[in-house]
Parts: sequence; C-alpha cells; structure tokens
Amino acid sequence: MRTLPRTLLARIAFRSFFLQASWNYRGMMSMGFLYAIRPGIDQLHSPGPAREAAYLRHLEYFNTNPYFSSVVMGVTLALEERLSRGEIGEDVIHDTKEGLMTACAAIGDGLFWDSWRPFVATVALVFALGNYLLTPLIFLAIYNLPHLYFRFAGIFWGYREGTHVIRSLRQFQFPQIRQTLRLGTMVLLAYLIPNHVNVHTPFLLTNLPLEYFYFGEKVVQGFGALLLVTLGTYAYRARVDVLLISFLLMIFALVLYHWGILI
Amino acid sequence: MPEHLLASLLIALIGGIVDLDSTATWQFMISQPIVAAPLTGLFLGNLYGEAAAGLKLGLMVGVILQLVWIEQLPLGMNVPPDAALASVLSVALGFISGHSYESYSEREVCYTVALLLAVALGLLGRSLDMFVRRLNTSLDTWVSQKVEDNNLWAIAVGHTLGGFFTFTKAFIFCFLVVWLGIEPLKYFTQTLSFKHGSGFIVVQGLLPAVGFAVLASMVLKDREETRYFIGAIVIFTLLPAKIFLAFIAAGIVMYRNHKGAKK
Repeated sequence: MRTLPRTLLARIAFRSFFLQASWNYRGMMSMGFLYAIRPGIDQLHSPGPAREAAYLRHLEYFNTNPYFSSVVMGVTLALEERLSRGEIGEDVIHDTKEGLMTACAAIGDGLFWDSWRPFVATVALVFALGNYLLTPLIFLAIYNLPHLYFRFAGIFWGYREGTHVIRSLRQFQFPQIRQTLRLGTMVLLAYLIPNHVNVHTPFLLTNLPLEYFYFGEKVVQGFGALLLVTLGTYAYRARVDVLLISFLLMIFALVLYHWGILI
Repeated sequence: MPEHLLASLLIALIGGIVDLDSTATWQFMISQPIVAAPLTGLFLGNLYGEAAAGLKLGLMVGVILQLVWIEQLPLGMNVPPDAALASVLSVALGFISGHSYESYSEREVCYTVALLLAVALGLLGRSLDMFVRRLNTSLDTWVSQKVEDNNLWAIAVGHTLGGFFTFTKAFIFCFLVVWLGIEPLKYFTQTLSFKHGSGFIVVQGLLPAVGFAVLASMVLKDREETRYFIGAIVIFTLLPAKIFLAFIAAGIVMYRNHKGAKK
C-alpha cells in the first residue's frame, strides 16, 4: 500500500532541480537531497524522534548524477515508508541508497556527460557554424527531453519499484545508446572539420585559374584542417593542456600570417 | 566608466543566473557556452540597439568555447573551468569594447582578444567556484548541528544560502570584470597595429581546430574507426557544405549501429 500521492512525488522531482545548490566537500549533495525529499519524509514520519532521525540519516554523504537523483529519491521514499511500518531497519536504507547512488552516478554520468551532451553540442555546432540564430533553442530543446523525462519519471519508477528499479533501468541498454551517440558525434565532426576550420592561403589566388579556385580552396581548407586536427589530437592524447595547444596554434597562425602563408 | 554601469549590471545578472544553472540548480544547460554566449549577446545587443550583431558574436564565441571545454566534465570532486562565466564575459568584453569601432577588422580584434582573456577568466572562475564549495562545507556542518538540536528550519535556510553564494559570486565577479575591464581592453586593442590585428582574425578562424581535436580524442576509440573517420572527412571535403548531408549521414550510421546492436 503506497501512501505518497503523485502530486507530492512530482513536487519532490521539482525540488530535485535544486539538488546541488549547497554542493560541498563534506556531504556533497546531502543537504540538497534532504531538502528535496523533505515533504515526503514529513508525510511518512510524524513529528518527533522518528522524523528527526530521518533528517539526520539523509544528511549523510550523498553524490550521484543530478538527472538520475530522482530515481534514488523515489527508492529512498519507498524504503522510508517500509521503515515507518516497521518492515525494515535503518541500515537497509543506508546500504540501498549508497549502492543506488553509485549505480545511478555511473549510468547518468556515462550517458549524459560523456555521450548525450557532446552529441547534442555537436548537433548545435553544426547549426551554429551554419549561422542558424536559433541554435541555442535547438540545443536546449533536444538536450532537455531525456533530462526532464528521467527527472520526472525517475521518481515514480523508484517509488513504485523500490530496489527493483535497477532492472527497469537495464532495459534502456545504455551502453548501446552511448555507442550510437558516439558514432553520430563522429560523423557530424567529420562534416565540421573540413567545412569550419578556416585555412586560407594567397597562393591559390595567384596560381590557380579562377574556374578551379573554389574547388582548390575547399581542398586546401579540408586537408589543412585535417592536418591541424590530427596534430591537435596527438598533442591532446599526449596530455598537453587544451589552453597550451590553443596558445601554440595562435603563435603558429600569427607567424604564418606574418610570412604571408595564411590570410 | 560610468557609461558601462548599466551594461555591467545586466551582465552581472545574466552571469549570476547562468552560473546557477551550471551546477547549483536546474542544469538545463543554459550555462553551456553554445547557449550562454548567444543569450548574453542578444540581451547586450538589445541594450545597444544591435541585437543581431550581439547574437552573431555570441554564436561565434559560444562555438569556440563549447569546443575548447567540451571534454570538461563535472564528475564527483572535479570542478571544471567556469565555461558559463567565460562565455558571458567574453561576449560582454568583446561587444562593449568593439561596438564603437567602425571597421570590421578592429571589432574582430576586440572579439578575439576578449575571447582569449575570457579563457583565463574561466580558470579564475573555477577557483571562485571551489571557494564557494568550501563555504558550503562550513554551511553543511552548521546545518547538521542545527538539525541535531532539532532546529529543522536550518535545512531550507542552509540550502538556499548555498545557492545565494553561487549567484553572488558570479554577480560580483561579472560586474567587476566588465565595469573595470572595458577601458583597459579598449586601450590594449588600440595599441595593436592593423597588421597584427588582422592576424587575430586568422587565429579566430583556426581556433575551432583545437576543439575538434579534443572532440576527436573523445569519440575515436581504435585505428579502424580513425580510418573511417578520415575517409568521412575526405568525402565531406569534396561534397558541398550542406547541413542536411551531415545529418543524413549521421542518421544512417546511428540507425545501422542501433539495428546491428539489436541483432
């Protein structure tokens, strides 16, 4: 028998938007977690030692992926409910929460930070470099679809399925989704490199007949960009800092410009 | 200096809101450079009656900063450079110092110098972020003590204060940088000769190569993929630069991979 109404769960999902407001080196997201689930705790435990103990329990260390935090919140509330009925002990909540936050961090970070964000950013770069002024809106609209889905659906799954929620999450086949997104990013990047690194040299103007000029310019730009990106990739994989690579590129460009090789 | 007061306040407000999104709250990703920079350009351009110019500058800055910091992930204890503040400040400094110039070349020099300066400011922003997190750690201890003493109001107060610290940090930082930074930046760009100045436009055109190299390092996993990737670059060099071609190719590759994975 579930006692928390759907509106209250939706309210908790909304409060999870503020999960990291007080992110710190001690409890990390603990204060935000407690702040988010507090209406649920207040409903499940009557005022007194039980409620106070619940508050203190959730001020312990907590860290996960913010978009999947609502899944952990849902499961935690389901367990708090069972605790209030005397079916389980406090240690079950502690252990489950710890295991689940680690699993959700791994799934969420891999999906959102490592795959989804680079993919959507690359889509947005294609539009931005094509001078589409609505690019920011396109980025926000695409990026936030799965974000809002997991944020709001997660709390209902967690609350309904309790500790079995991991089984539901497995159905998404996240590793395959990540692989697909990575390949999509790769193709879009292959489009961006020859078209949006501006390598222009005056030699083509003087040495090529005009009918071949545009094609020659495109080829020089494409292969010049490929060369630069290859060098950059080697440097980055050799753990040279991005800012140092940018600085070296700047010097390189200014020297070639000074010698009249680049315009 | 006083003539920049209104613009400085506007930028401080945008910086505060955008910085809240980067970790503390929401995480809709308006803090990503591809959104934050055009947003700043639009509001600032509107203030000066040049909304389209502001938006275009924002897109240019957003693309470069998005690429440079695309691999920076907010995982666990890792605090990445403050790309949100760097985006806001880069557009603000570049636009305000550059909009009064008549020539395209001089404006572009201002934009590029502001962009390079903002990258350094992004690193400073990271240090400020870490300072706020240390403040939040003291807050966390204080809240725990209060809850133990049954002062439950401390949860909401402590958590809200954490968000307030983040906003205030970004607000003050942006305000000071814009208010005090415009005139020195103008002076610096005036000292650059036209010849050097045009060189900065060449630098601006090449900078995306660094970001593309970082992205390539992230998505390419083995030699076989690298060969396909180079082949795709050659094909896109020879094809006309049409966005729909990139999306069709990405769609086919993603669909085939998804279908293959299902089998």
